Amino acid sequence: MQLLRILFTGLLLLLAPLPALAYDVLVLQSMHEKGYDEAVTGFRRECRASMRKVVLSDYAEADVKRITREEHPRLIVAVGDRALEMAQKQSGTPVLYMMALQPRPSNGTTGVGMLLDPSRYLAVFDALGARRVGVLYDPALSGAYLKRAQAAASRGVTDLVLREVHAAKETPAMLQSLRGKVDAIWMLPDPTAVSPASTEAYFLFSQGEMVPVVTFADVYLSMGGAVALTIDRFDIGRQLGEMAQRVLDGTPMEAIPAEPPRRVVTKSNDGVVRRLKANLGTGGR
Amino acid sequence: MRKKYRLSPYAKSFRFRLYLIFTGTIALLTAAFASFYVMTEIKGYRSNLEREGRLLATILSQNARLPLFAENRDALTLLAEGTARYPSVLAVSISNADGRFVVETGNSKERPGDAIEMVVEITSPGQLFSPESVLLGHVSVDEERVIGRVHLRLDTSGARERLIRLVAASLAIGTLFWILVSLLCYQILKRVTASFNMLMGGIEEIGSGNLSARVDLDGDDELGRAANAINAMAASLELRELENLSLQEELLKAMKLEVQEEKKRVMARLIHTNKMTSLGLLLSSMAHEINNPNASIRFSGHMIGKMWADVVPLLDGVWQEEGEFYLGGVPFQTARGALAENAAKIVENSERIARVVQGLRDYGVGGGSQLRQRLEINAAVSAALSVLACQMKRDVQLNTCLGTGIPVIAGSQQQIEQVLINLILNAMQAFADGRGEVTLSTRYDSAAAEVVVEVKDNGTGISAETMGRLFEPFYSTKLERGGSGLGLYISQFIVAEHGGRLQLSSVLGQGTLARVALPTAADPSMRSMVAAKDGQHPSDALHEVG
Repeated sequence: MQLLRILFTGLLLLLAPLPALAYDVLVLQSMHEKGYDEAVTGFRRECRASMRKVVLSDYAEADVKRITREEHPRLIVAVGDRALEMAQKQSGTPVLYMMALQPRPSNGTTGVGMLLDPSRYLAVFDALGARRVGVLYDPALSGAYLKRAQAAASRGVTDLVLREVHAAKETPAMLQSLRGKVDAIWMLPDPTAVSPASTEAYFLFSQGEMVPVVTFADVYLSMGGAVALTIDRFDIGRQLGEMAQRVLDGTPMEAIPAEPPRRVVTKSNDGVVRRLKANLGTGGR
Repeated sequence: MRKKYRLSPYAKSFRFRLYLIFTGTIALLTAAFASFYVMTEIKGYRSNLEREGRLLATILSQNARLPLFAENRDALTLLAEGTARYPSVLAVSISNADGRFVVETGNSKERPGDAIEMVVEITSPGQLFSPESVLLGHVSVDEERVIGRVHLRLDTSGARERLIRLVAASLAIGTLFWILVSLLCYQILKRVTASFNMLMGGIEEIGSGNLSARVDLDGDDELGRAANAINAMAASLELRELENLSLQEELLKAMKLEVQEEKKRVMARLIHTNKMTSLGLLLSSMAHEINNPNASIRFSGHMIGKMWADVVPLLDGVWQEEGEFYLGGVPFQTARGALAENAAKIVENSERIARVVQGLRDYGVGGGSQLRQRLEINAAVSAALSVLACQMKRDVQLNTCLGTGIPVIAGSQQQIEQVLINLILNAMQAFADGRGEVTLSTRYDSAAAEVVVEVKDNGTGISAETMGRLFEPFYSTKLERGGSGLGLYISQFIVAEHGGRLQLSSVLGQGTLARVALPTAADPSMRSMVAAKDGQHPSDALHEVG
């Protein structure tokens, strides 16, 4: 029944002429997801332009090109990696993205990423007094981010001890290789370095080596993480809304670079921090 | 022959049986508790072993999660060997999700068929997601993913050794416990059953006849009360026995007295028989002595009568010729009739004397053939009165009241006349001053089928002392006036011979009533037979004295 309704709605969208539904922003959302919905809500708060939202998971195969050709939106907002990929298949309309973990930069595409600026993490490590920070990463996924991090670290006192992992099962061994060599561990949102099966290896290492783990989500605090720098999805939406408004106001896309999330929520596991004898400064933006 | 086994008295005793039951029950309970204890211990040991094994396997699975994920065989081997070092672990192996064994370690002491197999899954935490999911804010759910399995083989030989130790210890402790409790039971039973033994000893002694024995048992319990009850019963029995002895002595005394009384009665009967024998001889002698002169008198009477009959015509001629003349001072005409009458009376009375004498002889020799004669009671009364006519006193008034319709009965009229003469004479002699009234009456009592003759006087009556001896022979209150003491004795004999009864009732100072009741229906011979059959001599007095 649900499938029939979706097919029927899709048929109407594809076949029926919709001249009366002219709008400025086409919001392409990868799927119905709480995080995506929060970001879209933030976007709507900042951007007052008319918009149409299409959730790709509702359709068997959404033809974004045809939609843009027939409906002429002035801007496409892609929410999620899949939506970004679909939006980048057309070329006539500028694309703003958010909530995409692996955005591929291209012309006419900009947005707000999900990875915090490395300097935020480095500030935390500074606050923790960690000089040597171990990082596991997949060069294919997080190589660019690590380069920025290293650049930022080189400006400070923090020394990043990098270990490359090419498969999830390498993570425990790589962590073991950091034994006695680091003062803290930086857990990146890298799917290879941080897989469900290997996640606890970080915290076992932290427990064994008595080094704090600084991670990207507060869910890891309950497992033994010391500090978590988490993104604010609603604020990312608002950040992208401001960016869209500038595009709609005529600012050329080239003038608007991709930005990391501007708001960071810092949370810590006080018990772990106390046990690791680390001093954490007041967090926040 | 079937041999019969007998238990010794001790084996049959209450104490032994109770002891047997107690010790048997304790032995059973001890065995049951020991078995239960051993089984529980073994079960608990096995359960602990399994729990320990599961714990080890769980710890190993937790520790092996990351090495298995990282396929770090060395780390897994290290972990497996660490677990296999536990004494209860025979073998440890770890397999991945595909079931392929990554690590296998064994223990040299493994024995096939004597182990517990245990498998624990190695799971990755389900609440963890990929970084994308975490960044998108996915809600975590408890869904674990199996990435491998830990196989543990546990040694159960310890359980067998423990079982042997437990059984041995339980047997030793149980036996010791049984012995101690049995000894305790014996002591307790000895104290408890001592009262029973005392009670039984007392009962047996009393039962053997020693009623003065007592159960020496104090206490308010059931046995004490039983002992008191038995003592009371024994005392009661002793008292009864003493009473019985006393009664026996009294009975013996009474029997001795009765024998003496009976002896006296027998002696009296012997004396009576002797008297009767003497009387019979006397009567026979008297009859002989009387009959001879009496025959002469009767003959003389006949002769006088006949001679007078021949003389009368001659004297009539004289009278007619010469007129009146006197014979013995009596005018001829008066003497003519009186002489003939007196001659007839001489003959009649002589015949009567002959019959009386004959009757006495019959009594003396036991004759009784006359009882089959026809007897009219009124005729007997008239005859008796005619006999007594000359002895009638002027001051005594004789009233007769003869009933009618009195049936004729079988009997001797002459004997009944004799009875009536005796009774009338007694009545006429019952007046102190010689004046009085005698009433003679006859009637038929149809209800009793008896002919009744009553002779009643209003004389002095009979004293109670005399009343008791009236029917004794030779007993008379008128011996000095010519009484023989045989009248009533003979009369009651005659009445008894006729199957009747002679009753005398008297009130002192008011008079006496003599009643003769003769049955009409019954055969007198039968009466005598019945009387003899009942152990009563026909001559015994069938009289009543009232």
